[in-house]
Amino acid sequence: MKKCLIYILSMLSCFATAQTTNEQKYLLTSASNTLGYSVTDFIDPYLSPLTYSGSGIGYNFQSQRFLSIENTRISKFQKLSLLAGKAYNPPHTASMSYFGVNYGWGMRCHLQPINRFRVQLGGLWDLDFMFKYLARNVNNPVNVDLGTNLNVSGSATYDISLFRKNMKLKLDVKSPVLGCMFVPYSGASYYEMFGLGNLDNILHFSSLHNKRGVDANLMLEIQLRSTVWRVGLGYESMKWEANDLIFKRNNLSLKIASVFDFATFAGHKKRAPSNFISPNE
Amino acid sequence: MKKYNLILLLVVALFASCMEEPIVEPNTNMGNFESLWRIIDTKYCYLDYKQINWDSIYTAYKAKITEKADAFVFFDLMGIMLNELKDGHVNLYSNFDRSRYWKWYTDYPANFNVNLIHSARYLGNNYKIANGLSYQKIANGRVGYIYLGSFSYGFNDANIVSALNYFKDCKGLIIDVRNNSGGSLDYSRQLTSCFFKEEKVTGYIKHKIGNGHTDFSKALEVKTPAHKYIQYLRQVVVLTNRMSFSATNDFVNRMKQAPNVLVVGDKTGGGGGLPLSSELPNGWLVRFSSSPMFDSDMQNIEWGIEPDVRESLKSYDQLNDIDTIIEKAITLIK
Repeated sequence: MKKCLIYILSMLSCFATAQTTNEQKYLLTSASNTLGYSVTDFIDPYLSPLTYSGSGIGYNFQSQRFLSIENTRISKFQKLSLLAGKAYNPPHTASMSYFGVNYGWGMRCHLQPINRFRVQLGGLWDLDFMFKYLARNVNNPVNVDLGTNLNVSGSATYDISLFRKNMKLKLDVKSPVLGCMFVPYSGASYYEMFGLGNLDNILHFSSLHNKRGVDANLMLEIQLRSTVWRVGLGYESMKWEANDLIFKRNNLSLKIASVFDFATFAGHKKRAPSNFISPNE
Repeated sequence: MKKYNLILLLVVALFASCMEEPIVEPNTNMGNFESLWRIIDTKYCYLDYKQINWDSIYTAYKAKITEKADAFVFFDLMGIMLNELKDGHVNLYSNFDRSRYWKWYTDYPANFNVNLIHSARYLGNNYKIANGLSYQKIANGRVGYIYLGSFSYGFNDANIVSALNYFKDCKGLIIDVRNNSGGSLDYSRQLTSCFFKEEKVTGYIKHKIGNGHTDFSKALEVKTPAHKYIQYLRQVVVLTNRMSFSATNDFVNRMKQAPNVLVVGDKTGGGGGLPLSSELPNGWLVRFSSSPMFDSDMQNIEWGIEPDVRESLKSYDQLNDIDTIIEKAITLIK
């Protein structure tokens, strides 16, 4: 009887191991929705030689996943950022409304040099658009910052334990290296450029010689019950030059983000397992 | 090791090409004067064409600047300095005043009387209004008359079609742009396109590409297209006076090159430079001519455009409710 029991237990243990080995793996996408309040300074000499300062709100969506189940060293990620607000000249005699969109797609290599400390390094291609409207200007009430960049991009995450909670301190940085940008001459009106088609010298190659900056976020990730939150600061400082005009954008923001993971199932190849219930069945 | 040194050198060279921001003057009378003077020195487009010695003006006006002067006194002084440019497109705007140069029309005969065009002989009381176009048949229904008081009010193709349909039995058309001091160049282009059979180069434009007084881009052709659906090819007479300025100056320049069009009246007021804006440290706005415009012979149109037939408003005609310039136009439409 004893022999029989040992045999059954060992068989059960083998079966359990086999079950673990054959378990289907799924790639999770880690995503975050971020809201922020920001204070921004602009220098746009096409619109005004003065520095405009103001505040606005921002939204950011970011997602990241590994390339494949087999390759968990390299991940791909994408970001979409929106920013809108209003800024004033120093004497507060004029206001500038602004609205910006930035979309980026990149890849990163994951490293863990020491315990509890992880590093991601890679590149990011982004498309940056900022619409600025200074209503009282005549024939030059609008300027657009438009550019596309290849950025170096990286992050460093450190696991910390505070107040009996596991937290992560995460620094995320990107900086443009190469790209292309739209900068008109200060004397060329949009009427002349887009009404009459004078597009001479409005597109410029950009690299470290004429466009420099950094976009960094320092966030603390906290798990609260069944949710994960990040709070922290964002800082962007960008400076670029073309056609003898020097532009500047400084942005400091207070951010809060909710973080979640999800897996996607679609089509024949990525069909959801039978124990998953979908309203689309 | 050499390879790393080279990379290091390259990185240092890239960052050494620093982007120095232009100096923003302090918000003092002297700082605002310096800022205003520099904006005009580097961005105004007619300093050389008008043979203005802007450096002498700097010396002369700098001597008059005191920090004791209040905002009104300082504003007036800066307004007088800007009037040295003799340009109706140059203004200084503050919260309490707007400097202006009006001698481009105040030094000349008005050649326009608004009461006359609203008399029974012309628009009368029952004239039609289609957005910015006021129109009526005159000369016993033989001639169509459109008064266009501004290129800011706007009109669309349907408005133009309505007016031209109303004049379908008329021998010709008068477009009166006297006292029209401008507005949108798009409206000028839209209206003139109805009088062209085919696209034509009707002018040129340049813009500043540097801080020097002669740093201009190459001239860009300004074309007037033929309107896709609206074609009015009967006789047209455009009436002008010295207050026909800016976008109206552009309208007259385009119309002069349309077939079957004559310009009658006084020389236009000019305003051939497309204006842009900038700011002083105290928040005042300055508007200035930035992009010079030329006719199809590359002649500057800043000082105005001569009419084909010069005519002026006679005082004895006015006493009889007659507009001499409109009457002249009627006689030219056969």
